[in-house]
Amino acid sequence: MQAFGSGAMTNSIHEMRDADCVFITGSNTAESHPVISYEVIRAARRGANVVIVDPRRIPLVEHATLFLQVKPGTDIYVFLAMMHTIIREGWADATFIAERTEGYDEFRAVVEEYTPERASLMSGVAVGDIEAAARIYALGERASGTSIYADAAPENGGRGHSTILYAMGITQRSNGTDLVMTLANLAMLNGQIGKLSTGVNPLRGQANVQGACDLGCLVNVFPGYQAVTDAEKRAALAAAWNVETLPGEVGLTVVEAMHAASEGKVRTVYVMGENPMMTDPNTNHVEKSLRGLDLLVVQDIFPSETAQLAHVILPAAASLEKDGSFTNTERRAQLLNPVVQAPGEAIPDWQITGEIAARFDAKMGIERESGYWYYNSSSEIFDELATVTPIYRGMSYARLAGEGLQWPCPDAEHPGTQYLHAGKFSRGRGKFNPVHANDPAEQPDDDYPLILTTGRVLYHYHSGTMTRRSGPLDWRDPGGYIEINPVDAASVDVQDDSGVVVESRRGRVLARTKISEHVPPGTVFLAFHWRESPANVLTQDFKLDPVAKIPEYKVCAVRVEKV
Amino acid sequence: MFKLSIDGRIVDASPGANVLDVALANGIEIPHLCYHPELSVSGGCRLCLVEVEGRPEPTTACGLACAEGMEIRTQSEQLTAMRRAIIDLFVSDHPLDCVTCDKAGSCLLQKYAYEYGVTETSHEKIIARTLYQDDNPFFIRDHQYCILCGRCTRVCEEIVGASAIEIVGRGFESHVATPFDGPMIDSSCVFCGSCVQVCPTAALLPVSRLGKGREWEMDRVKSICGYCGVGCEIEYARKNGDIVYAQATPDGPVNGEFLCSKGRYGWDFVSHPDRLTHPLMRRDVAYELGLTDDPWELPTESPLAVENPQIEDSFVPVEWDTAYDLIAERLAHTVQNYGPDAVMGLSSARCTNEENYLFQKFMRAGIGTNNVDHCARL
Ligand code: SF4
Ligand code: SF4
Ligand code: SF4
Ligand code: FES
Repeated sequence: MQAFGSGAMTNSIHEMRDADCVFITGSNTAESHPVISYEVIRAARRGANVVIVDPRRIPLVEHATLFLQVKPGTDIYVFLAMMHTIIREGWADATFIAERTEGYDEFRAVVEEYTPERASLMSGVAVGDIEAAARIYALGERASGTSIYADAAPENGGRGHSTILYAMGITQRSNGTDLVMTLANLAMLNGQIGKLSTGVNPLRGQANVQGACDLGCLVNVFPGYQAVTDAEKRAALAAAWNVETLPGEVGLTVVEAMHAASEGKVRTVYVMGENPMMTDPNTNHVEKSLRGLDLLVVQDIFPSETAQLAHVILPAAASLEKDGSFTNTERRAQLLNPVVQAPGEAIPDWQITGEIAARFDAKMGIERESGYWYYNSSSEIFDELATVTPIYRGMSYARLAGEGLQWPCPDAEHPGTQYLHAGKFSRGRGKFNPVHANDPAEQPDDDYPLILTTGRVLYHYHSGTMTRRSGPLDWRDPGGYIEINPVDAASVDVQDDSGVVVESRRGRVLARTKISEHVPPGTVFLAFHWRESPANVLTQDFKLDPVAKIPEYKVCAVRVEKV
Repeated sequence: MFKLSIDGRIVDASPGANVLDVALANGIEIPHLCYHPELSVSGGCRLCLVEVEGRPEPTTACGLACAEGMEIRTQSEQLTAMRRAIIDLFVSDHPLDCVTCDKAGSCLLQKYAYEYGVTETSHEKIIARTLYQDDNPFFIRDHQYCILCGRCTRVCEEIVGASAIEIVGRGFESHVATPFDGPMIDSSCVFCGSCVQVCPTAALLPVSRLGKGREWEMDRVKSICGYCGVGCEIEYARKNGDIVYAQATPDGPVNGEFLCSKGRYGWDFVSHPDRLTHPLMRRDVAYELGLTDDPWELPTESPLAVENPQIEDSFVPVEWDTAYDLIAERLAHTVQNYGPDAVMGLSSARCTNEENYLFQKFMRAGIGTNNVDHCARL
């Protein structure tokens, strides 16, 4: 991102098994990205160190060699202290810093303040553990065995290959951008990037979240991360799309749009396959905003909670019923094939969007060449998007067949890119961003003494519209539960599997308890899949990350009471 | 890299590789049951015996490290006899009801029995294991078909990291078990089905395929999992257009043969009765348009508070044309009266690249706003 110039996994999934150290933070990999956790387990079995920094004792901790259980929201002190230690002990990669980065001195001055002692006080993690994590990561130390990488041999002063995995436990925070930059700093400080089995690897939550970003479903960029504010890019794209101009101001994010809607500034919302009533923070506010719209169109496969409020609902085909392509978290575009027939009149989303666009033109009296919005196939759309998306330019359906291709793939001969930043960062030199620790926007107090953190469980997915309608998956995990430490359970006098009210400043939900040592005292966990215990009624939407505009799902203050 | 010869062919091998791997990589078939390329070598079935020049006894290929200049024979009268004896022993403890078995056609024991011409055992037939466990909706465990190859226990420990099952007991008592033979749900099992995937026989089968057809009646289509961002490739076995079961194949570029429970078992939502099959218009809007005679108002109660919301209570089915026209009309109204930035588009990480591209093109080139987002952040 700001540090290296691209926002995706730098390395490929199958490289992880050969890493010497896997550093995981803010990712419940075994439940949210199970097949990636299989890679981590392979690495651990081959002798890699697996270091985990997380407030919860997540399942992968069983395979970890070092677990730093931080108080929610304090991990940034640990990362800063690790870098402090690395610099103090001389473990940093001076050559890499000199040759490939900029901004080091300013960054170093900031890190100076963040001693392990201070981090320990804030996070509750022992100083020794922070220093051990620093050493293991910086030097790529293995727990056992020898590295497959020649440059790792310690007798030549080499260092092993360390890779960082993170997910929404990092990004869904009011200082998420700072945290991402901090992890980038950590990688650059040790030259742990631009080589096999290293890098900074954000694990994306949903099937095609990478592709949706790549193809410009973001407020600030056109397809291929070309800034909407860049007049030249705008003009080029306007020419390609055969329109006079394109809007040059950054648009509203979902959360901002909900605020604008409640002020009457946004009047129409067109939703393709999303369920903001379940997935957006502060549900009560979202609902009020949606109710006030002149038009809410929801295109989906199931009547979601959001669809219940729509003026019009359009039936879409599921991904198992259509062709097209998805891009996974390691930047690999792969082809879908229709497996079953769509039910009734349901049709692929692209056909619906094209038709709406054409009819909108007609109402507005806009004339375009016939076929502007009508395509004959997904592959025809792909051919068009490839021409305007530089990182996809060399791709076509013919080339995607088989193993797919990893972007950047700039021309038809390019083999795709397994790992990024080899030899050179996308933005030239990697930039150290001096980042200070920032505490979560909402802190527990006497009225709301517990910290709520939200996330996913293994058997369900997102707002649950699909998995809760899958027989086997719903059988395994039929209802919402809130994880609570025995200490807190005792203090509010509840047993395992008993009903509780969870209340924040925004609203209240009912849930059943699951007493568990997996969460530390003072912290409770509630997944957001359950419509009967909708976690996002509780989460806050007043302080978004200033750059990424991501709400703080991972930390808000609540109280739990017996019903 | 060095060279060795297998059946007179000179092949390349790298240090540490075993003979079975190298033979298979070069298209030379050696029968094997307990060996799986992604798992540690167990050496239990002994079916992969080969002869090595200069060694008096045949040895198992999966446990034999390649060495420079080695000369291997995979076929001989002696080997055939030994392999047949091994299969003979396996089938003495295995029902031969291939005529009704769901695994017929993809069972490895059946395949080798066929290849080595073993029709019945020459030993006394004793089915030692009889436990049948159908304690979960993901897969059944039918122990009479188990050949104790240990692939399932190894995959569970070495790949999945769950260590939910192990081989317990001795002799006739031995079997694959959860702690105290309890139901899977009380073990550390995560229902990924990797054990089912690697099991060579009918001892582990997906519930969804039981009695639903023979292997050769199904066709197979590969697609990409629609759940998380790992992007696993999944092969769906279909009969008459319906999915019978899902599995992975070794050539999956990201996942190889492995999946999680959502990808392997979570596809049945597609045929759930709640699926939307018709454009729908909210009753109050339909009334305004004269499409129904009954006035109606959107209840003030949150949809989240309704126990089991019925979509028909609030919506009426309409033609596509009617739905499209209302949308175009109101969209145009918003844009004309409040400007393009009064429109917000929310696209989806569950839709394809093509759909997301077209969606943002519509918002930008059609409507004229950058208000286009999806839940990347959520
Ligand atoms: S389903 Fe997965 S976790 Fe369960 S026993 Fe099989 S391999 Fe192990
Ligand atoms: S259940 Fe299948 S994989 Fe497991 S030991 Fe028995 S035959 Fe082998
Ligand atoms: S099978 Fe599981 S890990 Fe693989 S893409 Fe699907 S949900 Fe993700
Ligand atoms: S495959 Fe070699 S001993 Fe079983």
